[in-house]
Amino acid sequence: MTTSSLPRLGTLAVGGILAVTLPFWVGDFYQLHLAALIGVYWVLIAGLNLVVGYTGQLSIGHVGLLSIGSYAFAILVGRYGVDPLLTLALAGGLGGLCGFLLGLPSLRLPGFYFAMATMAFALIMAELSLAQGGLTGGGAGLPVPGFEAPFDTPTGFYWLVLLVAALITWMTWNVARLMWGRGLIALRDSEVAAAAVGVPIFRLKLTVFTFSGVTAGIGGALFASLQSYITPETFVFELGLFFFVCIIIGGRGSILGPFVGTVVLTALPEMVAPLAKLGNFFYGLLLLAVVLVVPEGIGHVIKSVMARLQKKGPEPKGLQPDIGRLAAAVRRGMEQDMQRDIQRGHAS
Amino acid sequence: MSTLVADTVSKRFGGVTALSNVSLELREGEIHGLIGPNGSGKTTLLNLLTGYYQVDEGDIRLDGEPLARSPVQQRPRVGIARTFQKPRLLGSLSVLDNAMLGGWCETRAGFLETALALPRARREERALRDRAEELLHGVGLGYAIHRRASLLDHAEQRFLEIARGLVMRARFILLDEPAGGLTEGEIEHLASIVTALRDAGIGVLLVEHHTDFVFSVCDRVTTLNLGRMIKHATPAEVRSDPEVIRVYLGA
Repeated sequence: MTTSSLPRLGTLAVGGILAVTLPFWVGDFYQLHLAALIGVYWVLIAGLNLVVGYTGQLSIGHVGLLSIGSYAFAILVGRYGVDPLLTLALAGGLGGLCGFLLGLPSLRLPGFYFAMATMAFALIMAELSLAQGGLTGGGAGLPVPGFEAPFDTPTGFYWLVLLVAALITWMTWNVARLMWGRGLIALRDSEVAAAAVGVPIFRLKLTVFTFSGVTAGIGGALFASLQSYITPETFVFELGLFFFVCIIIGGRGSILGPFVGTVVLTALPEMVAPLAKLGNFFYGLLLLAVVLVVPEGIGHVIKSVMARLQKKGPEPKGLQPDIGRLAAAVRRGMEQDMQRDIQRGHAS
Repeated sequence: MSTLVADTVSKRFGGVTALSNVSLELREGEIHGLIGPNGSGKTTLLNLLTGYYQVDEGDIRLDGEPLARSPVQQRPRVGIARTFQKPRLLGSLSVLDNAMLGGWCETRAGFLETALALPRARREERALRDRAEELLHGVGLGYAIHRRASLLDHAEQRFLEIARGLVMRARFILLDEPAGGLTEGEIEHLASIVTALRDAGIGVLLVEHHTDFVFSVCDRVTTLNLGRMIKHATPAEVRSDPEVIRVYLGA
């Protein structure tokens, strides 16, 4: 949250160019599909990361919100012919609304019970999608139309995903680096400190949870379109756990870490055939390894390596108050405070 | 003059009376000491003033306005800051970020404004960063601004908590045993800081065991014993009070 150094900007630029030009250098359509899938997952996980990684609220049921976005897209575009891009926004809105309604009662629960509530929500959504056959096609599922030109080709769709993912990543980065990020981390690490500086605990939790609902809804719409056919089986509970695990393996309080986690967990089993056979066992093994060896996650490892690379000299020590500067800063603050009160008319 | 007042407050925990009919008036521009043996109710009184506990009887008032029923989060909004016996910092964040957290209440930018980094969010961030840096240099943490708070030693953590309270533009700052675990040199720094705050017009409440420190910097001192106020006067008077000597200071 502090400095943006030149090497970091360089890395970001190179990463951006690689991501944009990916369709031209990637091996085949399958790999392009995989890249789009990573992007789609990341749209959801980026939002969820604010909830899990920053605010410390353990939601394992975001697959339920994902399915809402998916079915909304499949039904609105497929059955009623609504414009796909408009529906993408609508799915986000619906996801946000559902997130808000889910968060309203459940975010008051302490950690473990909140996790159970989100799990229950995911299970209920799975049952509902199976039971409401008239709407969702029941167990047989629904075909999902694609987007219109220029997003109707695999390359075009990939760029759409990339655009949405970049936008959402940028938004979460802003949240994380500015005042809200401090407030969220305060909720995670010390609610006492958060209260002492006036952070409204429940309102923050509900706001980021609603935002994560929006990104889950948008991710769901993109996910459905990418899959081109969805059934209740598409949204198994393990998928919700998978999103959660990506963040835990990536590391709390980082954006890059969970992104790397998402890429690795999505791509590795697909690229390395023997791992695919292991399936969930692979995820379990990786989670165990990370929790035991680097509990802070991949993001922390990256940070420590970077810090070691730019190793500075011995760190200075010793408190040395500058009383003149302190008094001046306090007085200035009080004067601004009074001016602000006068402007607001509180002075009388 | 601005005052923060506990008016004949009582607090019970189950059958135990932690505080009984205690009054305390903290004025702006004074250093007020609150001393007494362990279990005399000092921290309980501080928790009542800062809203962490609700009073059973009596009232808390700021400039005559009742405050006792308003939640903890309301205190920073009206300019009341506190520190903790065991510093409550965000270890994974930098010293600067911890100090800037104190500016939460005056940050107006909402979630979407922040997510889109609209001009107001960035402007507020810059202004807050400047003030936090000034205050951190002021309390003597200028060399550690970008250090992770978890790497700070004990004294540095205490001073950072004070800086966080000052970033909030506190009119009253309530310090819970700020000298605990500090070396003599660090206590001198602390004394010069609280004196500077008083001179700038802030009301400072010192809940403290280090009596030499209290008597040397305070304008007034309140002494508690077993949940009751036993003496409230100038340091010189409190120091020579036979009851205070008997229950707390020793001969």
